[in-house]
Parts: sequence; structure tokens; C-alpha cells
Amino acid sequence: MFVHIRDLHFKYPNADDHSLEAFNLTIQKGEITTVLGESGSGKSTLLRLIAGLEMPTKGNIMVGDHCMCSQSKFVQPEKRGVGMVFQDYALFPHMKVEENIKFGLQKWSRREKKTRLNEVIELVNLKGFEKRYPYELSGGQQQRVALARALAPKPKLLLFDEPFSNLDADLQFKIREELRKILKTTGVTSIFVTHDQDDAQALADQIVILRNGKIIETGSPSKIFGTDCDISERLAVKPRVLSKL
Amino acid sequence: MLKWFRDIRSNLNTWTVLSIVFVGLILLPSLSIILQFSAETNENWNHIKEFMLDTYIVNSVILVLFVGLFSAIIGSSLAWLISAYDFPLRRFFQWGLILPLAIPPYIGAYTYHGILNYTGVIQTTLRNQWDVTVNQQYFNIMNMPGAIFIFVIFLFPYVFTITKAFLARQSTSLVENARILGTSSWRIYFKIVLPIARASIVAGVSLVILEVLNDYGVVKYYGIQTFTTAIFQTWFGLGDLGSAIKLSGTLMLLILGLIVLERILRGRKRFSFTTTKVTLLQPVKLKGRSKWLAFSYCMFIFTIAFIIPFIQLIYWAFLTYEQGFSTEFLQVIGNTVFVAFAAAAMITVMAVVISNISRLNRGLIAKVFPKVTILGYSIPGAVIAVGIVSLFIGIDEVIYQWGWASSYILSTSIVMLIFAYIVRYLAVAYNSIDSGFERIGIHFTEASRMLGNNVTKSFFKVDVKLIRGAIFGGFILAFIDILKELPLTLILRPFNFETLATNAFNYATNEMIHEAAIPSILIVCISAISIYFFHYVLERE
Ligand SMILES: Nc1ncnc2c1ncn2[C@@H]1O[C@H](COP(=O)(O)OP(=O)(O)OP(=O)(O)O)[C@@H](O)[C@H]1O
Ligand SMILES: [Mg+2]
Repeated sequence: MFVHIRDLHFKYPNADDHSLEAFNLTIQKGEITTVLGESGSGKSTLLRLIAGLEMPTKGNIMVGDHCMCSQSKFVQPEKRGVGMVFQDYALFPHMKVEENIKFGLQKWSRREKKTRLNEVIELVNLKGFEKRYPYELSGGQQQRVALARALAPKPKLLLFDEPFSNLDADLQFKIREELRKILKTTGVTSIFVTHDQDDAQALADQIVILRNGKIIETGSPSKIFGTDCDISERLAVKPRVLSKL
Repeated sequence: MLKWFRDIRSNLNTWTVLSIVFVGLILLPSLSIILQFSAETNENWNHIKEFMLDTYIVNSVILVLFVGLFSAIIGSSLAWLISAYDFPLRRFFQWGLILPLAIPPYIGAYTYHGILNYTGVIQTTLRNQWDVTVNQQYFNIMNMPGAIFIFVIFLFPYVFTITKAFLARQSTSLVENARILGTSSWRIYFKIVLPIARASIVAGVSLVILEVLNDYGVVKYYGIQTFTTAIFQTWFGLGDLGSAIKLSGTLMLLILGLIVLERILRGRKRFSFTTTKVTLLQPVKLKGRSKWLAFSYCMFIFTIAFIIPFIQLIYWAFLTYEQGFSTEFLQVIGNTVFVAFAAAAMITVMAVVISNISRLNRGLIAKVFPKVTILGYSIPGAVIAVGIVSLFIGIDEVIYQWGWASSYILSTSIVMLIFAYIVRYLAVAYNSIDSGFERIGIHFTEASRMLGNNVTKSFFKVDVKLIRGAIFGGFILAFIDILKELPLTLILRPFNFETLATNAFNYATNEMIHEAAIPSILIVCISAISIYFFHYVLERE
């Protein structure tokens, strides 16, 4: 196993409830795992914990052979070798596409940087856009820059936070196929968070269904979508008591 | 236990350590006062408590009450007119009515006195043109109502700007509904605008009140006994730092009460809407008489609060312009720019560090540090000065006793003044920088960290580039405030060290009002340019 998460708990300091509770997950190397859940189920929180942007209240995270987080240890996000594609892409607005992509390659030599830039640009099919600024690109192109930027430093693990939610349906369909191909070519292990069943079905080797911060079900797409019944029922979030209102 | 250790260690970096040091430094003067507040009383203090303290409290309360009330009325009504109606020169008034802030009240105070007194332009004209000699009593502004007038016309823009910003963005649906229902304008103002804008009006008024309590120039010049004049007197007149500390402590308690009162008055934030889509309130075109009424009201306030004092100062400056080229005066300008620049630069660095760590942290730091940082702004200059002097004298005594220096070196140096500026004006830069950070959010920083840069590298490669404007804005705002500052500078400046503000004030108190004009007009013009820049140029972008 490549990623191993055990008994992960997390609560935001200003929240009443845990946003993630007793979360366990194992991922094999090169696998694409999709976390499927309604809005507010804790998907982003999970990714932020794996990335090291939040500190869990309890639990362990292992990536590769390294312990990222335990009772006594916490590795800072910049030291984890984990890449992330944000929901809003977070492309640096003051940098051109090539600068954005090379941003994570600071320790590399100039030559290596250049080669790597061309490689990933080729991979995401963005040739000719190197000199543009992010705001001069379409939504789909921005998304591909974000992917290229995250892939460039060759992360051990790549995290996606609903990267398609800002794209229209047509484009989503096309990019989904493309993304799976790219991920499989590079062989990078990845976790992909979404509320869209189609995303999950098309991309995943393994699916995890999350509800109110807890795992409801885990398995291969065929196991989860195999039965004919609609899974939206299983997904549905029981409305939390809005005690504060 | 292990986990606790882990949490501490992973949160401990240069940023955290630096910000803890900064916040500690800011707290020191207040702590110094609190610790010495309960020290043994002496005769002076007993005398003050028995015969004077009531007067100080009563005068301060009267000032605060009336200035608060009138600036609330003028500020909110102007804000409502400008946001809801269209009339001649409205676009100009939008920022023009902020310009009175460019005239520090102490400058306004002696300018108006100069206009109204026996040798002033009004009485001279009456005498020479129409041979009318007036009863001096009606033209005497140097009293309590006069001070209230001065504070109101030069400070109401605080209420005006905050309320206007709120009304323009947040009141649209309510006001438009009321308009559709045919509610009259007066009713809308009293029944809708005042209640929903209450929090912003209270916020603006509390800024006004803090300025009033901070003031030394106006009350000293007009001969009104308040806490600040009393602190000056016991300290410089009686040489009694202990009693000055007690007065300062009492004033701090008073302000603490005010802050609590503000929280209560402001109420819960019921009207901050969560919709991200902001619809701007569309002003209705006024016609006929009401159009000219609205215009006249704005024009009247603008005239007395800016045009009249401004023109008078320019006129005086022309009478004394040679003085502007003297080497002493150039020295004064040099001093002012030097201290303001040095303090504003340090303030900016500190504000950036504290603001950045507060947004990256989720724990206690994020809650406490922002509050401490803006604390200094609610403490009057004279009180900060007392705290800092008692602190620095304490340090100097230690240095002296240990034989590191042969005299008191810190408490006679410029270090003390710059430190005081930092304590008082850190909040100004902090607010600007913090809102800059808030605007860009945290994702860029996080993206940078995910690409292998630590907090510091991310800050220099990404954050700084994205909030340059806010950092620069914070620096300029602090710089301008320091340029105008009077009470701290008067108390803490080294011997023979003059800034534009002390220069102007000293001329004025020595009945050399004409000579005070050149340093005053410099202060006013620099402030006016920055107001124009921030409220007109930046707002249009
Ligand atoms: N900064 C925060 N402070 C407090 N509570 C938070 C914070 N961020 C998220 N939460 C809470 O944690 C829970 C999980 O949020 P999270 O953002 O992980 O959901 P999500 O599955 O990513 O939803 P979405 O699909 O809308 O992005 C929610 O109940 C949310 O209200
Ligand atoms: Mg999310």
C-alpha cells in the first residue's frame, strides 16, 4: 500500500462537530481514488489534512514509506511532496503560465526546468500558451495549467479538489477522459474529490463515499455502481440540526 | 502530552516568534501603567482627586456626548443623502466631504479663533467697512461649545465614510422596497436607514470619540480642563509622574467602559448579509427645491469644515511665506519626515508580520493578536506617553545602575518617540494590510506551500506581490497620521526637536497665528492629497 490513513479525526476550532471522524483509507501505488460526497461532507477537509494544511486532532497519515502525521510528528506541507489542484485553481495572477508551472521547481537546474516545462506542457496540451497570464486563459485552460503546475515537481501523491466544478458539462466530459489518461501515463497516485457521480465512475479505481465526515462505503466502481439502484439515496445527507439558528 | 508538544513545535517559526515579540512590546506601556496604577498615593493625587477629578470627568463626558451626538447626526445624514439621492456636485461631495479630516482639529481650533477674534477678518471687516463693533462675547469661540463645534466639523467624516460605505452596499433591497411602497424619504431615513446602519454609525462615532479623548491641542488652546490637559499639567507643571500615571489609568478605565458600551450599542451583526452579490444602491434624482436643499446642506458643511479654514490658512501663509525658506523650518520638515518615515516603516513591517501570522494560525494567536494590535489606537496619546516614559525611565535606571551608561540614554532619545508612534499607529497600517490579506484569501499561499515553499518564501514570492497596494496604503496612512500627531510628540520629543505639528502648535499658543500657517498648510495639503488618492483614485479602480 502507498497511502495509509488510520483513524483520522478533525474538528475546526470554531466548529461544534467533527468535520472528519474515524476516517480510514488505503490506496495502492498508481491508483486513482475518488471521494464522493455531498457539499459539506468533509471532502475538502480530508484533502487539506493529507496535504498538511490542517493538523488532525487524532490519527496517522502515511505517504510512501514516510509518516506525515502522528501523535508526535507533523510534516509541514512544503516538505510532504504532495501536489494539489485547488477548486479555484489558485494560479498566481502575477505570473505567466510558464512561471506558474516552474514555480515548484526552484531547486532544479535551469536546463532541467526547461525540459520539465516542455514535458508537462505537452502532457496537458497547452503548447503556445506559455507566455500568457492566467486571466488570459479560458476556464478549461486554467484548469490544465493548474494540473501541469501540480504535476511538474513529480509529486508522490496528487490531490484534486473538485477541479471540474467551474467548467461547463461538455468540457467536463472531455477533460475527465483526458485527465484519466494523463494520470495513468504519469503513473501518479491520486485522490480526487467530487460530488458528481459521473466523475467518480469515469475516473476511479476505488471509490469512497463520505457523509457527514464519516465513510459510508468503499469499493471499486463496479461494486458501488454495480447494483442498479440509484446511489443518490445512499449519498443523501441527512440535514444536520441547525442548532445555532 | 506528545501531541501538545507536536502542536507547539510545528507552529513555532520565525513569524510566530517575531509577532509574539512585537505584540509584547506593544503591550508594555499599558502594562506599565496598570502595574503602577495602584502605587501609593501622594499629596498631589489626593488634591487632584478631591478638587479636580470631577471637573475632568464632567468636561470629558460633555465633550464626548455632544461631539458624538452631532457627528452622528451630520455624518449619517450626509451619508444617506449622498448614497440615496442625486443632486448637483454629488460626485464631488462623495470624497470632498472627507476632506475636513485633512485638517487636524488643533489647527482648525486656532484657525477659527483667528478668524473670529478682534483682529480677525470678520470683525475687522465689520469695523472698517460698516463701522460696526460687535459684542466680543458672541464671537468668542474659546469655550466648551466652541470646542464641540471644532471637533464635530473636523471629525464627522469618520461617521460619514463608514456609514456611506455601508449604505451603498448593504441597504439596497430594504431601501428599494420601501421606495416601491411609497414611503417618504424622512420616514425611510428614520425607520430604515438609522436602524440598519446603527452598527456603522456607532463604529464611526467611536472613532470620533477616541480622537476627542486623544486630543490635547484643541482643549489646551481653548482652555478646557480634560484628562489630557491634566496629565500634561501634573507631569510638566508639578513634575509628578506618579499622579500622571493615576490619571492615565483612570482614563483607560473610562475608555474601557466606552468600548463595552460600544459593543452593546452596536448589537449583534444582524445586517451583514451573506449574499456575495452586492447590488449598489441606485441614487434617485432630486428635482426642484429638494435638489437645491440637499446641495446647500452639503455645500454648507463643506464650506465651514474645509473651505473657510483652508483659505484662511493660505492667506496667512502668504503673509509669512519668507519664513518657509529659513533653515530652521527646513530642519523641522526634515525632522518630521525622518520620524514619520522611520516609524511608519517599522509599523508596516510589524503589521505585515502580525497580520500574516494571524491569518495562517487557527489558534489563540488568530484570536488575540489582532485585538492587541489595534488596542493602541484606543489609548490616548498622553496616556501612551506616560506609559512609555515610566517604562523607559525604569529601563534607564537599570542600565545606569549596572554602569552601562553614565546618564539616562533611552528616555532622552528619539527612540522613545518612535516607539510611541508605533504603539499608537500600528492599528492604522494593520487594518489596511489585513484587509489586503483578506481580499486575496489563503489559497495562493497554500498553493505555494504545496509547491515546496515554506511560509517565508511563499510570503516573498507570492503574498507580497499580491498585496503591494495594501502594504503601501498602510504605510502612507500611518505616515500621514504621524505627521499630524501632537500630544505624543509634545511629550516625548527630545530637547529642541520640532516637528511640523509641534511647530505649528507652539506658534499658535504664543499668539503667532500667522506664523503657524505655513507648517499647518503643509500638514493639511499632504493629508488632503492622501485623502484624494485613497478615496477618489483608489475607489474608482
Ligand atoms: N474554516 C472552517 N471553520 C469551521 N468549519 C468549517 C471550516 N471549513 C469547513 N467547515 C465545516 O466542515 C465541514 C466540512 O467542510 P468541507 O469544506 O470539507 O466540505 P466539502 O465536502 O468540501 O463541501 P463542498 O462540496 O461544498 O466543497 C462542513 O460542515 C463545514 O461547515
Ligand atoms: Mg470543498
